Amino acid sequence: MVPMNQVLLVSFLLFSIGVAGVLIRRNALIILMCVELMLNAANLNLIAFARHSGTVAGQAFALLVMGLAAAEVAIGLALVVALYRKKDTVQVDGINLLKG
Amino acid sequence: MPFAESLWGNLVQDLPLLVPVLFLWIVGTLMLWPLGSWLLKSMPKRQWSGITFVVLLVTLVLVFRTPAGQGFSGMFQVDGLTTGFQILAIVAAAITVILSQPQLNALKEQSVEYYALILFSTSGMMLLVGATDLVSLYMALELMALCIYILVGYLREQDRGIEAGIKYFLLGAFSSGLLVYGMSLIFAAAGGKTTNLAALNQALALAPRNAELMIFTGVILVLAGFGFKVAAVPFHMWSPDVYDGAPTPITAFLSTAPKAAALGAFVRLFGTAFNGVHGDWAAPLSFMAAASMILGNIAALRQQSMKRLLAYSSIAHVGYMLLAVLSHDAQAGAQAIWLYMLTYLLMQGGVFAVIIYLQGKGEGERIEDFRGLSKRRPMLAFAMLVFMLSLGGIPPMLGFFAKFYLFKLAIEQGFVTLTVLAFLTSAISAYYYLNVVATMYFKEAPEGEAQPMGSGLSIVVFATCLLVLVGTCLGPWLMDWTARIVLV
Repeated sequence: MVPMNQVLLVSFLLFSIGVAGVLIRRNALIILMCVELMLNAANLNLIAFARHSGTVAGQAFALLVMGLAAAEVAIGLALVVALYRKKDTVQVDGINLLKG
Repeated sequence: MPFAESLWGNLVQDLPLLVPVLFLWIVGTLMLWPLGSWLLKSMPKRQWSGITFVVLLVTLVLVFRTPAGQGFSGMFQVDGLTTGFQILAIVAAAITVILSQPQLNALKEQSVEYYALILFSTSGMMLLVGATDLVSLYMALELMALCIYILVGYLREQDRGIEAGIKYFLLGAFSSGLLVYGMSLIFAAAGGKTTNLAALNQALALAPRNAELMIFTGVILVLAGFGFKVAAVPFHMWSPDVYDGAPTPITAFLSTAPKAAALGAFVRLFGTAFNGVHGDWAAPLSFMAAASMILGNIAALRQQSMKRLLAYSSIAHVGYMLLAVLSHDAQAGAQAIWLYMLTYLLMQGGVFAVIIYLQGKGEGERIEDFRGLSKRRPMLAFAMLVFMLSLGGIPPMLGFFAKFYLFKLAIEQGFVTLTVLAFLTSAISAYYYLNVVATMYFKEAPEGEAQPMGSGLSIVVFATCLLVLVGTCLGPWLMDWTARIVLV
């Protein structure tokens, strides 16, 4: 069995990559992917610890997170498509009308 | 099939708790299905908001008739807090629906989906405030937020609309990532056995010493996730832009309903599951409250746009309400937040009704546009005066009593420094609220006149104005009474 510390380490790395990506990258699609990484880091924790304790609550939670992530991506892509149609770009630097 | 039978038995037993939410789901789905949308399309578009309003009123009645209790394996609970905050969400949605009718008519953007999304989002809020499990809490939060992402970007033909939608979506998705990772850490630290809030509190108390860092990180991440949802400093940067770019009725919705629901869940989550680790989140939350009050009020001083001014002032109002989340007594905290949110809802609804009334076609939302309003439309200017004084918390307006209640609780709980700060910053807020009043009464009217937009709005303006004024006369008694009937 993999020790829990290593699971936590891997999930923390995944989460950090996700956060860094959201903060650094300027492409809306890549930001969306990085958000997915953050969610999957959480899923890894949930599943590993549910398995460790032998209960199913965490696994159910992980399934639900996956479903909601899919819904979130659907809406996000719709918004990105609308942005692309309007502005011909998916770079978030290109949108700066609202300020102050 | 004993399993299926027990499942069925539990379902029948627990369903009464969800009747109002189910009603919203069914109506919303029917609106989107061919039959329902065909029925709706056979009647004039301007009646859709009326129908949605009636649906929300029926839901309100159903909420009052829902029995208290717990169900769905401890996932959902109906108690005073649930009922109270469900009422807030429904009232906010009803105000939004009335405000939407003239605006969407003027923009020629009426659609069934818009109203269905408002209903679905409201159902998410109603689940959120009753959620007693991390799983149902997260699910309800996403249901609420996903619908609002679409509503914010609803005017996709406008550059500003789509920009606001994208900004809100990206930051919202990021914040839910933080939230769910925080939840997974808490779940892990509690031994990976339970996601129930009450059970988590017990499990966290027994957690081994080497899990302390994990609990702390988890609590901070959950705090950050909720900070985004209620727009507290330092997680507020989306709010002015989104308020500015979203359709005005949705701005009104955004500044009241999701905040009320998220604050309700905030109180429940931190009062139940994280009650034992109060030391971990008390200091960061105090910082968030103080920073929201200071930054919200100071940034509002230099705004030219009315919607941005309201965005910053709503950050400040959230700062005051976080004082009540801090309180050790979750029940009293919920009560103070509920009263504050109820008065805030009325005032905010009234202010946005006035703004929409003045907007010709999506324009005219600058403070300058209010010049000489007292001469052009004296009644409207008077209503705006009432709302502004009340938002500023100037006695004896209704807003003052709500603030008084909140600050009294904060002092009783021993947050003297924070309360003094709240007093000082709310004195600053009086400046910019009164600035709007001065613009209306002492500046000359501009050339040309804005096009009036419909009679439904004047009803909202005068109804809320009347409510605020009645509350002013009967303030203290009314407050005691409303708090007692709802949050038992």
